[in-house]
Amino acid sequence: MNVIEATHLVKTYNPDTIPVKAVNDISVEIKEGEFTAVVGPSGSGKTTLLNMIGGLDTPTEGSVIVNGVEIDMLSQSELTDFRMNNIGFVFQSYNLIPVMTAKENIEFIMLLQKSDKSLRDSRANELMEKMGISETSKRRPSELSGGQQQRVAVARALASKPKFILADEPTANLDSQSTESLLDIMAKMNEEENVTFIFSTHDQRVIDKAKRVITIVDGKIESDETR
Amino acid sequence: MILSLSWKNIWRSKKRSLVVIGAITLGVWALIFMIAFYNSFGTAFARNAINYEHSHIQIHHPDYLIEADVKNQVEGVPEIIGSIKNELLVKAFSGRQKVNGMIASTKTSAGVQIYGIEPSAESGTTSLEGQLLEGSYFSKIKRNPILISAKTAEKLGVKVRSKIVLTFQDIQGNITSASCRIEGIFESKSPKINEGVIYLKMSDLNRLVGSNGINEFAILLHSNEQIELVQERLQSTTENTVRSYKEVAPEFNLMEESSVITKQLLTIIIMLALLFGIINTMLMAVLERTREIGMLRSVGMHRRSIFSMVMLETTLMGLMAGPMGLLLGYLTISWLGSRGLDLSVYSDALKEYGFDAIFYPEIQNSTYPMLMVVVMLTAFVGAIYPAIKAVRLNPLEAIRKL
Repeated sequence: MNVIEATHLVKTYNPDTIPVKAVNDISVEIKEGEFTAVVGPSGSGKTTLLNMIGGLDTPTEGSVIVNGVEIDMLSQSELTDFRMNNIGFVFQSYNLIPVMTAKENIEFIMLLQKSDKSLRDSRANELMEKMGISETSKRRPSELSGGQQQRVAVARALASKPKFILADEPTANLDSQSTESLLDIMAKMNEEENVTFIFSTHDQRVIDKAKRVITIVDGKIESDETR
Repeated sequence: MILSLSWKNIWRSKKRSLVVIGAITLGVWALIFMIAFYNSFGTAFARNAINYEHSHIQIHHPDYLIEADVKNQVEGVPEIIGSIKNELLVKAFSGRQKVNGMIASTKTSAGVQIYGIEPSAESGTTSLEGQLLEGSYFSKIKRNPILISAKTAEKLGVKVRSKIVLTFQDIQGNITSASCRIEGIFESKSPKINEGVIYLKMSDLNRLVGSNGINEFAILLHSNEQIELVQERLQSTTENTVRSYKEVAPEFNLMEESSVITKQLLTIIIMLALLFGIINTMLMAVLERTREIGMLRSVGMHRRSIFSMVMLETTLMGLMAGPMGLLLGYLTISWLGSRGLDLSVYSDALKEYGFDAIFYPEIQNSTYPMLMVVVMLTAFVGAIYPAIKAVRLNPLEAIRKL
């Protein structure tokens, strides 16, 4: 089953002055349970593609269907709800809420979803255990290492049980050991819970772990390899 | 959830939040102090004018209000005295005969208002005896003793027991003169009295003007709150005109109106300063969190929640600072209200305007909740622009700022 269907996506910046096509007619389908890396040189359009898939940016042409919903037809408010309920985001700089503890950060999206306390509590505990960060539950982000923060960020993205996780260069700020550990966890979540992951990355270690690698050059798909 | 997040955000930058809270507290305190201090000016001015010049209520012949002439005597004096004496709310009263005239010494002359008084009644009403600097109070000189102010004495170059000549019109309109001797020199707390009022015994003045009446009753009450009631009661018993001190001296209303305007202006100025402080600080707080707010939008936080979050942060700070400022203001005013604020350094200038050197700041209790509302409104308005700025942030910012 396709979780994402992107058809003839085009994104043009500065259309009225000096038009720059960041994404140039990309069509791609992502199936449930895929572990996909979107790779390519800087400026190739990977992040723009992920932004459009994640409903953070609107395509100039083409459409994105996520879980059967054409997201560019949604209003801003509907799109916000759609992102909350269907998409998990992992950012390069973790982007945790500094005034909340690790556990509170993980529970945050569930709070937005108005999940009840017992559900939030059990889901957060379960994810912290799987991520190996149970002992950090009461610590704030500033008291965590980069690797621990990114694991909290992944747990936060997973907490609301989204249809897929979009991770933009998730290992860019991590050392080798943290990267390995994070990748192992995400691969395990993919295998055991069939969570769909889509990464944009330069990191060869991520690429090596991916089951599918989409290479983008100059806004176009150069290759799409499934392993 | 929003409330909890807002509360935590406040303490994200303790120093900055404490500066905002401190600024609001200080602003509220300053406002209370200024209002109370300004109130004390009005109260002191009114108190002195009532106690030493106008009293609470005055009674005149209706024509006296058109032409302040000796011929316009109060009618039915015995009945009026009876009514005043029957009024339990009256503390003291004094009947006066007032004429305009000239006072002349060997050195110079000046225009004056001559008050013919019953010494004991006048002293009970305006504390005249207590204001004597030199001499005695109508007890030692038998023929035409007068009291003049220190200022008039200085102008005329006279002292106690000096002889002066008074010239004025009698009840027939003839110019008449009388030789008088200064028995006492006083200093009133009323600049108007100091400027040109002299006191003569009513029996002496009436003999000189050829009258045996009274053209003014000044009535002192136990409290300012009783004026309207007593005024109504007395008016119902006489055809003469019974007026409150505010009607006698319209400058009181002018002062009250200007006081209200000044206090409103002070409030606006302080609140504007506070408003811009809040906008500046909250804007800084929002812009510092661009990436975080973008992330919150990305993961599903609605614009209205972001707006509420920023508004709540400011409101919560206002809710903490407002009562602190009010409490601080209340304590300061309570302390100064009982001890007084000593401005003796400026006593000469203050005396010129009829003020004592010690002020007792005061504020009505109803002002406190009103100020709290004003502060909260200011905080609320101050938060709107930063909150709008926050909701306008594009969630993409979170990713682009990686």
